[in-house]
Amino acid sequence: MNAQTSEPVLVLKDIRKTFDAVTAIENFSLEIHPGEIVALVGDNGAGKSTLIKIISGVYAPSSGSITIEGETVSMASASMARAHGIEVVYQDLALADQQTVYMNMFLGREPLNRFGLLDRRLMISETEKLVKELDVRIPSAHATIRDLSGGQRQGVAIARATRWAKKLILLDEPTAALGVAETAKVETIVQSLKSRNIGVLIISHSLDQVFKLSDRICVLRRGKQIGIRKTAETDKNEIVSMITGVN
Amino acid sequence: MFMRKFLNATVLAGLLLSGAPAMAQTVGPAGETATPSADIALSDADLAALKDKGYKAALLWHTSSDFVNAVSAGAKDEFARAGVEVVVQTDAGFDAARQRSDIETALAAKPNVILALPLDPVTSAEAFRQAVSDGAKLVFLSNLPADYKHGTDYAAIVTDDLFQMGKQAADALAKSIGGKGKVGWIFHDATYYVTNQRDNAFKTTIEKDYPDIKIVAEQGITDPARAEELASAMLLQNPDLDGIYVTWAEPADGVLAALRASGNTKTKIVTLDLAEPVGLDMVKDGAVVALVADKAYELGRAMAATGLKSLLGQQTPPFIVAPALTVTKDNVADGWKQSLNRDAPQSILDALK
Amino acid sequence: MSQSKQTAKQTASLLPQPTVPLLKRIHLQQYVVYLGFLAIFLFFAIVLKDSGFLTVRNLSNIVLQTAPATIMAIGLVFVLSAGEIDLSIGSIVAVSALAAAVTLNAYGLVAGVVVGLGAGLLIGFINGVLVAYVRLPSFLVTLATMGLFAGVARSLTDLRSIPVTDAAFTGFFGSGSLLGIPSLVWWTVAAVIIGHIVYRETRFGAHVLATGDNGRAASVSGISVPRIRLAVLMTSGGLAALAGLLYAGRLQAAKYTLGESDLMTVIAAVIVGGTLLNGGKGSIVGALVGSLMMGMLNNGLILMGLSVSDQMIVRGLIILAAVAVSLREKVR
Repeated sequence: MNAQTSEPVLVLKDIRKTFDAVTAIENFSLEIHPGEIVALVGDNGAGKSTLIKIISGVYAPSSGSITIEGETVSMASASMARAHGIEVVYQDLALADQQTVYMNMFLGREPLNRFGLLDRRLMISETEKLVKELDVRIPSAHATIRDLSGGQRQGVAIARATRWAKKLILLDEPTAALGVAETAKVETIVQSLKSRNIGVLIISHSLDQVFKLSDRICVLRRGKQIGIRKTAETDKNEIVSMITGVN
Repeated sequence: MFMRKFLNATVLAGLLLSGAPAMAQTVGPAGETATPSADIALSDADLAALKDKGYKAALLWHTSSDFVNAVSAGAKDEFARAGVEVVVQTDAGFDAARQRSDIETALAAKPNVILALPLDPVTSAEAFRQAVSDGAKLVFLSNLPADYKHGTDYAAIVTDDLFQMGKQAADALAKSIGGKGKVGWIFHDATYYVTNQRDNAFKTTIEKDYPDIKIVAEQGITDPARAEELASAMLLQNPDLDGIYVTWAEPADGVLAALRASGNTKTKIVTLDLAEPVGLDMVKDGAVVALVADKAYELGRAMAATGLKSLLGQQTPPFIVAPALTVTKDNVADGWKQSLNRDAPQSILDALK
Repeated sequence: MSQSKQTAKQTASLLPQPTVPLLKRIHLQQYVVYLGFLAIFLFFAIVLKDSGFLTVRNLSNIVLQTAPATIMAIGLVFVLSAGEIDLSIGSIVAVSALAAAVTLNAYGLVAGVVVGLGAGLLIGFINGVLVAYVRLPSFLVTLATMGLFAGVARSLTDLRSIPVTDAAFTGFFGSGSLLGIPSLVWWTVAAVIIGHIVYRETRFGAHVLATGDNGRAASVSGISVPRIRLAVLMTSGGLAALAGLLYAGRLQAAKYTLGESDLMTVIAAVIVGGTLLNGGKGSIVGALVGSLMMGMLNNGLILMGLSVSDQMIVRGLIILAAVAVSLREKVR
């Protein structure tokens, strides 16, 4: 893995977030490199979703800095995070169920033709190309989301993030609602993202999945960063004890 | 909401007559004298001339109600006598645009006679234009499209005798209290032709014809739901009222409730239009002494007969009036039949036994 | 062998479901309105062949009579697609028609049209701000403004009808024609074409659908959901105002009752035309056909000589059947 040699796509330094008197995140620091998959693990309430919201621009950190490819940024909205090349695959996928796959791929960012109307042809061809590359098996770009299975929907959501992400994709529990076969399929898709030279930050409850997919594992407990381990140099016991605080 | 209810209960405003002061009798829009509806009758020769000609008629009403049903029944029976088929019936739901659509649709069935209540003079002027140019004979109920000419544009207007309704209410109340005493006057407090005419006719009649009766309390009403509290206040200030006139049957329910609540068994009530609660009180010798109604069935009959006469090329009078009908305990069954062309409610018939 | 069978099954679940019935795949409900329209037309054409139904005048009457409702329906497709509803369209029709008539008589044609349309846009704006920014449910907001502006329409001219005598106005909006085609038809065609393009082929249309489909997804995709909600309610207000001008032109008068009874017809036309009541999917052309179907139903039932009560019963049953078929597929 040559990930460590390149410049990181995202650097979080001393991130701290408080809500009134409550500290949700303290002194969190993390670097994510292109082509690297980092897993964020921790119990419920450990601060994972707060962190995701900070990286995706929903919350501004109380202190600390966010650096994207060497440039320190301050993000006030999800749109700004997107403008910096960060895409989020939400747990609920944020897909419009009655719309087609290709409209969802371009939701909010629809390309227009020279008449100022929707360029459907472009949307369809790009969708078909990407879906094929990622091996998301859907009937067609014209399929309606509600007619797809859970795994297919997850595939579409990841494909959409891939289409737009220039630096980083955040995956929030991508397989929580899926069966065994579909989980395997989605994991294959996530793995294939490595070759696209973007960073991936994945939140997962499944340690099996974390060990299967990630290069490094970052553990959070009660808002504190417990530690970061290279996946190859740790084991489940260590991670579990870091998560729970029980040795 | 209230307006809708009220309009359903009675005929829509003859706005063209509004602004006219309370008159001694009902006159037409251009001051025409009224022809009693009884004068309009189809002779045997007329009937023979109409039979088997394949003539068709359309009834284009403004709403659906007891009143409209009775007018329709009167018209249909008269048309049936002449072998004329009623091919179209509509209800515009007080919607001027829908009335226009109804007219256009009806004309596709090529009716020879159209009986209709124009919603108001302004909006109906354009709406009925096509019917006029198609040559259908038009007989209007209560209302006339603006600038329409009798004879060329329409055959006749037929309407209630509103003045008579108010006058007969006054006569009935006066009779029940022996021609002297104090009465209350609960009138419709809105600029509305039908009620204004009837209310004022009551007042005028009492003032002119019954010097020993004094109207000691006057109360306007717009919402029937408030009738009870208004009547209670009136009775509190005037506990010795001999009678109360109520502008129409629905608020009269509230006045009855106020009488019951105060234990008053002395005060008499008259009101206009037939309704089951007031009718029941009347036949049970309660406070209600008379209900004055219009003869809706007769209105319909006269409209049909006028239209058919016009179809035969006969002269028709411009302004025809159907009489008012005073309904008391003695003629309640017959009154219901005459006014609405149906039996009185079962509860009333049972109470009469 | 059982192993390979198992794998095959797992793969299959990611592929198009072969068990989905064919009818569902071709989305029967999209065509219900067209089939229903055809069926009703054929029925009346046969039953009423001697009663004038098939005459050119009667058929063109249906198109002319439904023009204002069709234009209101187009606005409602946008509103419903965005997951909102506008119950105030009938009152907007009346207010706009009266405002236009009064202004027209006092200040002339252009002022009348501007004030009429402006009144509708303003009411739509009020609805929109309350729904989008004060975050009140559109059902309640427009239920309230429906009553409020029905009252305004009544008080505007103290229940009086206002005649509209300006020949340019009545010609342009009502009884006139261009190239032998009545102006009401031009208005309908223009509204349907423009409505269809905006709805299907523009970013705005796509964002309206996304908003009604999944407001959160639309929002995190960078779509300004409040702005969409405001825009659809203003669209519906503006189109209802146009319907008001068409009524005023056609009747050569404006009255507070205009549009009062149209709301239910318009909702039925839109739903039968394949627009979902809770957003995310709809059809402008479907709304047009739905509206024509409602008009044809009214017309045919009247010409059948049914009593008014029977007309209402039969119409209700047919709408029920049409809505049942068009919605059944969607509720899975």
